[in-house]
Order: sequence, then C-alpha cells, then structure tokens
Amino acid sequence: MTIPASPPKSPGQEFALGTVHALPIVAGAIPFGFLLGSLAAKAGLSAIDMGLMSALVFAGSSQFVAVELLGKGSAGLAVVGAILLVNLRHLLMGATLAPRFRGVPAARAGLALFFMTDEQWALSLRRGPGLTLAYWYGVGLTLYLAWLASTVAGTLAGALIADPAAWGLDFTFIAVFLCLLAGFWRGVGSLPPWLASAAAALAVHALSPGGTWHILAGALAGGAVAGWQGRGQGKERASDA
Amino acid sequence: MLEALRLDWDLFAVVLGGALVTWMTRIGGPWLIARVRLGPAANAALEATPGAVLVALVAPAALSRPSDALAAAFVCLIARRVPMVVAVVAGVVAVVLLRRLL
Repeated sequence: MTIPASPPKSPGQEFALGTVHALPIVAGAIPFGFLLGSLAAKAGLSAIDMGLMSALVFAGSSQFVAVELLGKGSAGLAVVGAILLVNLRHLLMGATLAPRFRGVPAARAGLALFFMTDEQWALSLRRGPGLTLAYWYGVGLTLYLAWLASTVAGTLAGALIADPAAWGLDFTFIAVFLCLLAGFWRGVGSLPPWLASAAAALAVHALSPGGTWHILAGALAGGAVAGWQGRGQGKERASDA
Repeated sequence: MLEALRLDWDLFAVVLGGALVTWMTRIGGPWLIARVRLGPAANAALEATPGAVLVALVAPAALSRPSDALAAAFVCLIARRVPMVVAVVAGVVAVVLLRRLL
C-alpha cells in the first residue's frame, strides 16, 4: 500500500482518507476480534464484559493475553500487569510520534493518543510531518468501531468457531503484522536489528511461552543493534549529547 | 441473552485497571521524549524499535511450525507488491493449504 504525496486537504477529506487507509486493517481486525470474542465467551466473559474491555482498553494483543489469564482464573493484579507488559511498546511508539504531537494541547493529545494502536501508529508515521488530527481520528475511530463490534459479535456467537486454526484465522494477525513490518523495510540495514529481535524473542519465548516478555526482549535487542549501527552518525553533535 | 448482558464487577475493576495502565503507555511516550535528549545511537535505536517490536510479536507464532513459517515467508515476499488485504487473504489461504500438506 502506498500513500501518495498530495496537497493539503480539508479536515473532512483527511478524515475520509484515514478511514479508507484503515479499511484493509479492518479486514484483518474483524476476524481477529471475532476470534478474541469467541475465546472470551469460552473463558466465561459476557458480551458486556468484552464490550467494556474493547471500549476501554482497546489493545488487541493485550486483550488476548488478558482473556487467556482470566480464563485460567488469574489474580486481577496479574492480569493488569500482563496488560501493561504487552502494551509497554506503546511508550516507544508514542515517542516516535512525539514530533507530530508537538504543539497539540495536552488534553487533545491525551484523547487522541487513547486511540494509538500498532496499526494506527504505523499508518500515521507513514504520513510523515503531514499527519493531521483529522486523519488520525479517521483511522482511529474506524478501527475502534470495527474492534468493538467484532469482539462483541464474537462473544455473542460464542463457540460458533469451534476450531479457528482449521480456518487459518489464527494466521490473520501474523499476516497483518508482517505486512506492517514490510512498510518499515529500509534496505539491508534493517535486517540486523530484525534478526536480533527475532533471536531474542524466540529465546525468551522458549523460556516463558505464555508470557509477554519476548516482545520486550525483541524490542530491546533490535534497538540495541540499531543503536550500535547508528552510533557513528552525527559525530559532530556527539559533544553536546 | 440475559447471560450475555451480565456484568461481572470484579472483572470490571480489572478492565478499568488495564484501561488505565494502557492509556498511560499511550500518553507516556511523548511525555518522556520531551524530557530526555537523544544522541544518534539512541535515535537509531528508537527508529528501529517499531520493526523490532513487530518482529518480536510475530516471530514465535510465525516460526511455530514449518507450514506457518513458509506461509509467513510467502506473505513477506508479496507484502510490498500487493494491497495489504490481498496479502493477508493470500497468506491465510496459503497457511490452510500448507497445514494440510505438511
């Protein structure tokens, strides 16, 4: 998917553009949300429980982890802690978006950032300096409504999908994230951090398969390798760093 | 239907807690970055982090079995050449076929 450079648009056009750009992600998110809802029903959550979680947390991967833990009867604090761990990556994503939110009043930024998901962030970052709040909400509200509707529908449908893996639906999220990843390819230099991340994630995942530490481990390993690659750049500024 | 509308208050507290910590991770990035100055290495690390997070998210699942790894490789090959929804559907079809073959 390419986003062509274009002259400034009205907020309405920007919102519509965001909505259109969100549609391929909606196509991937709906089966994902439906799958989560059906798992939640099996874990004993009601449609209201699921709807509230999707409406207030609005973070897919962490909701999968939360539903799994709730189904096992884990303590509330452990579930909240797991949600925090899975979503720690938002800190790093938000940091990369910081230049786009410079000058936006804190309350408006705080509300807009509620909608930041992996997909929202990836699409918005690709807009570059031309990112507008209207575009942001076009993407965000579209994904929000699709997520809310699909997770609640999945819970209501309950055990309709007896074996999601048989339909390949469990692969949807892998494919979506790989497509997003392809958007971050910057040539061969992207490879070492990605390989380091994969190695670290696989190693940590092997040690704690149910946990979410592998995401943090991969992020740190990939970041460390990239930092080492980039250490020589901008030497003239190194003295004031 | 009544069962579907039941609200579990203990669960609601967990959801509220999860919502609060999640929102804090979302607003925390710009807040932190405004207070910390970054050198070239830190900038490069930050720039590579999103890709690294995506890799870490998918690597264990994508490499869990040969069929899924092959389908994942297939998606990587076509991801930059076709619209995302086409790549996702093709990937899901591929994984269903490969899981039956392998």
